[in-house]
Amino acid sequence: MADEAIAGHYQVLEELGLLCMSSFYMHESSVAYISLMIVGGSFGVVYKGIEKASGEVVAIKHVSRPYTIPYGATSSTTIDLESTDDDIQDIQAEISVLATCASSYVTQYKASFLRGSKLWIVMEYLGGGSCLDLLKPEPCSFGEPQIAIICRELLRGLEYLHAEGKIHRDIKAANVLLSETGKVKLADFGVAAQLTNIKSQRNTFVGTPFWMAPEVIQQSGYDFKADIWSLGITALEMANGEPPHASLHPMKALFHIPKNPPPRLEGNFSKEFKDFIAQCLMKDPERRPSAKELLRHRFIKSSGKIEALQELIERRRTYDATKTKKRNRPYYQETLQDFSPRDEQDEWVFDTVRSVVPRKATVKSRKPSSIFSTEEALRRMDLKDAPLQPTSPAPPTMRKSTVLRQPSGAQMSSTRSTRGQPPPAMRRPLQPDMSFGNSGSSQRLFRRVPSDGSNSGRASSPNPFDDVADENKHPNAVEVTSKEAILGRRLYSKALDPTLAELHAQTSSMAKREALAKLSDAFAALDAVDPEGVYHLFRNLNATMTQDSKLSNAFLNPLDPTAGPLDSEKPPGTVIIKSVPANPPLSPTKLVLAANNPHLKSHKRRQSAALVHSGPGSPEKATKQERDAEKVALQARYPGREAQPGMEHCKQLSDVLYSRWIDGLRLRWPGT
Amino acid sequence: MTGRPNTIDLAKQAKDHVYKLDGPGGPAKAEELAKVLNQMKLALQGVPEYESSPEQVYSLVTGLIEEDLLFLLAQNLHRLPFEARKDTQVIFSYVFRFRPPTASPKTDPVALSYVVNNRPEVLLELCRGYEHKESATPAGSVLREVLKSEAAAAIILYDDGEQPGSSLKGVTAIDRERPQTGNGVFWRFFDWIDKSSFEVAADAFTTFRELLTKHKELVPRYLAVNFELFFEKYNSILVQSNSYVTKRQSIKLLGEILLDRSNYNVMTAYVDRGEHLKICMNLLRSDRKMVQYEGFHVFKVFVANPHKSIAVQKILLMNRDKLLSFLSHFLEDRTDDEQFIDEREFLIKQIRNMPPNPVPPARHAQPV
Repeated sequence: MADEAIAGHYQVLEELGLLCMSSFYMHESSVAYISLMIVGGSFGVVYKGIEKASGEVVAIKHVSRPYTIPYGATSSTTIDLESTDDDIQDIQAEISVLATCASSYVTQYKASFLRGSKLWIVMEYLGGGSCLDLLKPEPCSFGEPQIAIICRELLRGLEYLHAEGKIHRDIKAANVLLSETGKVKLADFGVAAQLTNIKSQRNTFVGTPFWMAPEVIQQSGYDFKADIWSLGITALEMANGEPPHASLHPMKALFHIPKNPPPRLEGNFSKEFKDFIAQCLMKDPERRPSAKELLRHRFIKSSGKIEALQELIERRRTYDATKTKKRNRPYYQETLQDFSPRDEQDEWVFDTVRSVVPRKATVKSRKPSSIFSTEEALRRMDLKDAPLQPTSPAPPTMRKSTVLRQPSGAQMSSTRSTRGQPPPAMRRPLQPDMSFGNSGSSQRLFRRVPSDGSNSGRASSPNPFDDVADENKHPNAVEVTSKEAILGRRLYSKALDPTLAELHAQTSSMAKREALAKLSDAFAALDAVDPEGVYHLFRNLNATMTQDSKLSNAFLNPLDPTAGPLDSEKPPGTVIIKSVPANPPLSPTKLVLAANNPHLKSHKRRQSAALVHSGPGSPEKATKQERDAEKVALQARYPGREAQPGMEHCKQLSDVLYSRWIDGLRLRWPGT
Repeated sequence: MTGRPNTIDLAKQAKDHVYKLDGPGGPAKAEELAKVLNQMKLALQGVPEYESSPEQVYSLVTGLIEEDLLFLLAQNLHRLPFEARKDTQVIFSYVFRFRPPTASPKTDPVALSYVVNNRPEVLLELCRGYEHKESATPAGSVLREVLKSEAAAAIILYDDGEQPGSSLKGVTAIDRERPQTGNGVFWRFFDWIDKSSFEVAADAFTTFRELLTKHKELVPRYLAVNFELFFEKYNSILVQSNSYVTKRQSIKLLGEILLDRSNYNVMTAYVDRGEHLKICMNLLRSDRKMVQYEGFHVFKVFVANPHKSIAVQKILLMNRDKLLSFLSHFLEDRTDDEQFIDEREFLIKQIRNMPPNPVPPARHAQPV
């Protein structure tokens, strides 16, 4: 295999950092309604590797993101093709955009190869970190001369891309990487679009809210000038430590950007810098200068040498050194495919001779299968308790980093709600990303390794642990045998972890986010070694809380009866907003609530989502959903039984298939 | 760029450089060639300061044809420097689209019509661009643009070397009723798709799909005449490929081909074969769920067929109970895919209601 050969050229060294590329996915179903959907987090791991022939260090990204984001979130990366319905053609198109870029201002694409269903993408390695990484140490901003240098280099990168007919569409500090010597390069073409025809305007909705140009948000069609706006925001980000509106919920920012006058640079900065920002942030894209023109701006022309940026890298190193926290760098370890041995009885019978499905070498399942039956029992119990609620754990939601809206017709099918047992949570414990390099773009988006959700539903596989086959897994979790442990694990994977993830997603302050991340990691660690502990912790917590009347009122009773079935229908962490009327329901009061009580906040958010969901004039919709849920639950409960009498809902398909046959027959035998 | 590019001898210059690529000064020549190609691209595209005139483009296109540069560029694409390959791609697409201002928009563009009638090797060489990683993407994008023309698609499908009726003598010389030997350039796609690295394989597959789905008259006829050879290769090389991407994409394409109305005859012939059903049922048990899913969309055609052949009925009946229980749990997590759920229900019903013993189909199996 050619891919094996390419893969063999690289030696994967160590994991550099984890990056979460949770995305935020939108599509417009009509003018009046916008359907919003927050897709489960998609997570990536960046490995440092060595190209064997040249000894050159490269970054190898490996992400198994649900590929519902055709133009991807942050890093263009590695994709688990198995978890996507989308056409592989789109992915290939994306890679070929990468492959046709060759500029010293743009991170260089090296190669891509397949391993099983995972696609790996090899990129140039940049050891200096991303601008976002470099913004972390005090005073959380860059000096004006350094910003001027970075902007100049970025403009050169943009000049190249735009001349090539490409739009980057996701310029932000996290996507600007530095080499150790201070070279500045644009990264992350995950969202880059090729303008095959200069006249054709894009109207896909892509980017990261805070950095998005008004015309992108308004979908009035945009061109390469959108990148100039994002550059202006990035310059503000470097001057102030965060982009304008950063305190807002990203969704809210989406409504502010087109409505408000453009942000301006304020404070103790030069007139040139302020003018530069003002030029970049012209709301009318026609009046916004091009990259070429901006390169002649006084702010840029007077900028210094890139070596001045080394200071920033040094600053970050010192910052890291003062942090005592040790970081264990996990080394890449390939996991064997682990298929359950198939029951011979299950094979198809052809001509009374058994056919053997061609199968790769199998490794015996290492878990006692009795757990399956316990899990199964739990599941059934669960169904009995709540017959109308699908027990599907949807992928956890993380911070929305990149938004994509397709003009129309995009399917909502991207939340692959998974039915059945939660996989044993074998998550790698996560640390805040301390690494430099390409992984840097992860800084703000960190957290978590591949979500197991997409794999857990392999219904036809009798092995409940076939997620062990996941090439990403670290087989380091303990075996779960006791009932408490199973419950504990379930508690973690279904409630705790998604809740934390969502909370994290909604928190914008860096300090709070880090604290939450630590908490999340602590729980993950606990879950990995002692799921029983999780169980006891919450049992005791619950018991203690019951004894305090105030606490028990606040937490143990449903906050609001209207949050009823719809609320609990979705596991926390997934927010699916369907058919949101464009403006009113997203009013601030609904989205941002009592910041001092995060639980309340996330709860209310879901609740408002639910309200929106059943929004104006669509109570029928809600009931239909309930019915559907019931149907699904019933189907799961009685597999293989008679379906609903009449099978009316199948009529359409059979009509289509039959009419096709009949059409054909008529042509041949007019008598039929 | 200073002043007007001299378009007259650009083609000639380029040709000279191409011939010297093999010589001792190869790399230097490649750089010079790259410069010429860049000028040529600008001459075709125009630059902001200087719009290209139709006359100028016309003379350049004629020059390219006269010097046989299209062939030379296609053949040497992989040896050109990085930017030159991109420029060449642009040159090809401009040239293949160009019509003289006086020509009716219905006529074929001059260069394309010249190639399909007099120089089919240009297209064949573009296909062979898949032999090299460097040329795969630019050649592929040129091909896909050119394949919008039915004549161009026919050239690729019916290339059969020196055989009588091969497209090598031009599009009008093609004998569509003669089965292909399998040595033509079209059949090389199977290997390119199966054996190349991801980037090349995926690009080759995109072109392959384009070739097989675009032309609703050309392709059904081609598949009917070459049914055995095509599906033998398709099933053994693509559907059973070790590459996840190839396998998954080709099963999907198989479903698309079979369900295309214009391929009615091909579909009836395909779903009559027990062998095909077996392959398909094994896909349902693949360890990759997307393979199962795509396999399902082929499987449903066998089951929905109201005139199942005896062979197909036998296999389904022999496995009836297994199928019923298998399908009831099949891809259960697709709870939000309503169409899939409906179709799965439909198939369960169909299989359950089959008569206990095979009955001869109402229609006779149509030889295709």
